[in-house]
Amino acid sequence: MRDRTDPRVTIARRELGQLRKEKTIVLALVLQLFIAAFSSFLVVGLVSLYDPGQVGGTEVDVAVTGDASEELIRAAREVRGVDARFYRSEASAMRAFQEYRATGIDAVLVAETRDERVFVRAVAPDSNVQTTVVVVQLRDVLRAFERAERADRAAFLASTPLELPPETDSSPYLGFTYTILLPLLLVLPVFISGSITVDSVTEEIDRGTLELLRVAPVTLHDVVDGKLAAAAGLAPVQAGLWIVLLELNGTSVANVVPLVALVAGLALTVCGLGAAVALAAPDRRAAQFLYSVGVLLVIGGTTLLPHGPVTAAARLGIGSPTTGDYFAVAGVVALAVAVYVGLHRLVDRVDADAL
Amino acid sequence: MKRSPYDHLRAVLRIARWEVDRSASVVDRRTAALGVVALLVAGGVVAAGAAGGGVALDRDIYRVGVAPDSPYREPVERSVALDARPAEPDAFRAGEIEVLVRDGRVLVANSPKGRAAASAFRSAVRAYNVGLMRAEENGSAAFPVVVVVQYASQSAALPDSVTAGDGDGGAIGGDDGGSGGGGDGTDGSDAGSEPDDGGGSTGGPLGVPALEGLNPLGGGGSGSPAEIQPPFPFGSLVLAFAFLVPMNFVIQAYGSTMLNERINRRGELLLVAPVSPGDIVAGKTLPYLGLLVGLTALVAVAVGGSVVAVAAALPIALLFLSATFAGAMFARSFKELTFVTVTVSVFLTAYTFVPAIFANVTPIALISPLTVVVRDLQPLQSVAPLEFAFATVPFTLCAGVLFLLGTGIYREEDLFTQRPVPLKLLDALAVRVTKPRHAAVLAGLTVPFVFVAELLVVAVLFALPVSVTVPIVLLAVAVVEEVAKSLHLFAAFEADRFPDTRRTAVLLGALSGLGFFVGEKFTAVVQVVGLPELVLGRAAFAPSGIGVTEGAALFLAPLVLHVVTTGIAALGARRTLRWYVAALVGSVLLHTAYNLTVVTRLA
Repeated sequence: MRDRTDPRVTIARRELGQLRKEKTIVLALVLQLFIAAFSSFLVVGLVSLYDPGQVGGTEVDVAVTGDASEELIRAAREVRGVDARFYRSEASAMRAFQEYRATGIDAVLVAETRDERVFVRAVAPDSNVQTTVVVVQLRDVLRAFERAERADRAAFLASTPLELPPETDSSPYLGFTYTILLPLLLVLPVFISGSITVDSVTEEIDRGTLELLRVAPVTLHDVVDGKLAAAAGLAPVQAGLWIVLLELNGTSVANVVPLVALVAGLALTVCGLGAAVALAAPDRRAAQFLYSVGVLLVIGGTTLLPHGPVTAAARLGIGSPTTGDYFAVAGVVALAVAVYVGLHRLVDRVDADAL
Repeated sequence: MKRSPYDHLRAVLRIARWEVDRSASVVDRRTAALGVVALLVAGGVVAAGAAGGGVALDRDIYRVGVAPDSPYREPVERSVALDARPAEPDAFRAGEIEVLVRDGRVLVANSPKGRAAASAFRSAVRAYNVGLMRAEENGSAAFPVVVVVQYASQSAALPDSVTAGDGDGGAIGGDDGGSGGGGDGTDGSDAGSEPDDGGGSTGGPLGVPALEGLNPLGGGGSGSPAEIQPPFPFGSLVLAFAFLVPMNFVIQAYGSTMLNERINRRGELLLVAPVSPGDIVAGKTLPYLGLLVGLTALVAVAVGGSVVAVAAALPIALLFLSATFAGAMFARSFKELTFVTVTVSVFLTAYTFVPAIFANVTPIALISPLTVVVRDLQPLQSVAPLEFAFATVPFTLCAGVLFLLGTGIYREEDLFTQRPVPLKLLDALAVRVTKPRHAAVLAGLTVPFVFVAELLVVAVLFALPVSVTVPIVLLAVAVVEEVAKSLHLFAAFEADRFPDTRRTAVLLGALSGLGFFVGEKFTAVVQVVGLPELVLGRAAFAPSGIGVTEGAALFLAPLVLHVVTTGIAALGARRTLRWYVAALVGSVLLHTAYNLTVVTRLA
């Protein structure tokens, strides 16, 4: 007897219906949004701590003293957001630092020349919000100072340091968005889809509902296929959704098609592995544990590979793809097909009555 | 049937032993074999990756066109983030390279990506220069400047732990390994051995420095300004994260075993045995709690934490378990449970880990017990007892309340039915409200949750300008508090616990407000931790009378407010959901108005 619809489609529909009824998919999306928002907030917070330009015109006032202070003040003029003032003695500079409410002094630099070097003692405030900003600014001043001093001694050097390319106003978030946020948003749906597959299979086994499916005119292959289609199909859709959201947010993502193909391949691989673990493991606790350890270690591990899926996603998204990245996408898709074939071999060996 | 505490304890221990036996039998030979296979595969991947040269999430994301004979070729090739390409103007025009180095000039593509690439290029050249100078014979010419960074306190208005003597905070440069004069200056060379601009493995702004620099005093190097590191406790943070990892895995198994009781009515056997639901829950939780304590102690030994670190990690473990338990009581299927555990994992990991990043920067960081762990792992840092209490007590209380609510619905009509989640929540609350005085107790118990929610709001809005955030904070605080004070009343009326007359509603509302007021007064510890130093902290907590010393009128004003607003909400709650929501909006508006008045008067 042939029904008009493929039994696999029916089962996939049933799976999606369950997800919709339980509203879990909504929860999953909210969760991913939370992760994205929180990691972005985190980076904004961190960058505002590290990059004084982001904090809205904080001016760092430095008290400079010692015999090399003239050169140091000249070097400080090169750095934005630093105001260096000369103090006659270390004691008066430290007093100004202690009475910072009146003087506004945030840090002290004591520069003294001894045996052909300049020894600088930098005093920064400890443990307040300003500390990091102050230290970063001091570092910039001292780097400029070092360059100037080095140029004075160029005659004694065997090789001259290269001239630094000009400074640019670059957004500190750009690298983060493409190398961490985008791969994270692409991998999360994959991980969640795999979890759904593990649960869906173990639940049928645990509740004994596979029996009911068995009396319907479907094979175990159909059941597994339907579940895979539902779970693995969700991941690329979510990935596409995130890419659209990033576009709306002003982050343009290049190579959308290879990226979605990469996610689809990863999702099929991970869901296939999840289904295999669920069929092989004795109960849900073991299955979920094996699955999450395995996937976390494998996905975490592939970040180590020079052309792993995670770094490939970053390069594709930012628009600097190499040939190797397209190979990586193709490799993941091939792996997915291999896992799928292997899973069906496993299903052949599983005795459905024993489940 | 009255049973002695001894009977309870025996029952709990018996169930715990049974749980351990059953779990041990689950791990049969096949699972063990599968686990070994998973570990081997993962290990193989890691080994292959390590051979390929470490973690670099930003490998080759920017392309620089530079001729093979150019002096700039080598810095580009050494940098992880930069990919060296042939110097062709056509490729630059076509957008295939972001930076072009030709005839001693540097062309940068006019796009955000181009500017970021130029900035990475500048860092790469700087790092290359440092390497070049290291090879020089004449040290004083190559490194003419030697820097020592010290941290000194500027004010004595901060709590003790933040201020101490003017200690050396560890010197940059190997000649002075930080004389550590009793100060707590955070270490200057804590963030891995790579200089911040090293062409090594920095992954975007959140670079992942190599971990061999974890020894906080082992800065080493030349003392060159290039090696100054801002005080960012990177090493301690990575180690503190190790405390969270086992929790995320253990709650999966724990959630499974709890939900297993509810599937196919397996839990009935336990319910008909002569033990109380509380015994069952305690017994089933005990092995997992023990496991977590053991793992935490192991991690502490491995990373060099003290007893303080273990004691601070314990409340986090309790909250992980209690949230998972409550989730397992509410979930209707394994799929739903997975989302619950993932949500718990993500939320709690974020909530504990993110504030800990700011451990050395702002007192707000103490909203997370993990901050205590981070400070404990750093040399020269200490945690005051009050700070420890501030970080851990809300977590412990939250865990207790969640266990209480979950145990309330550990009964037949909730365990084995598929009731919608909101109704179950109302059930869990209604179980606890049988007498009017319970309304006050339960309202008082919501305070830790309210506190956590408000701190989260403050933490999230911390980065924005104050003028925008204060009104948002005040509104958020009002919403959180009003819902917390009246939800259990709505649940009680829905379950027909009390006659729904106006008098009862007003009485219950007043009691609830009183209970909340008393609980709120306990949060006065924020004063000690120095949150009022922050404008936002003041805005969030001043309306509750904290840090206010203007006589009894202001001290009691919050009591009047809570009684009135909860009374309004209760009057709505006695009717229907719609009435309740409408009344809630009214009470929130009143509450916000009050908050605004107090804050502007104080300012």
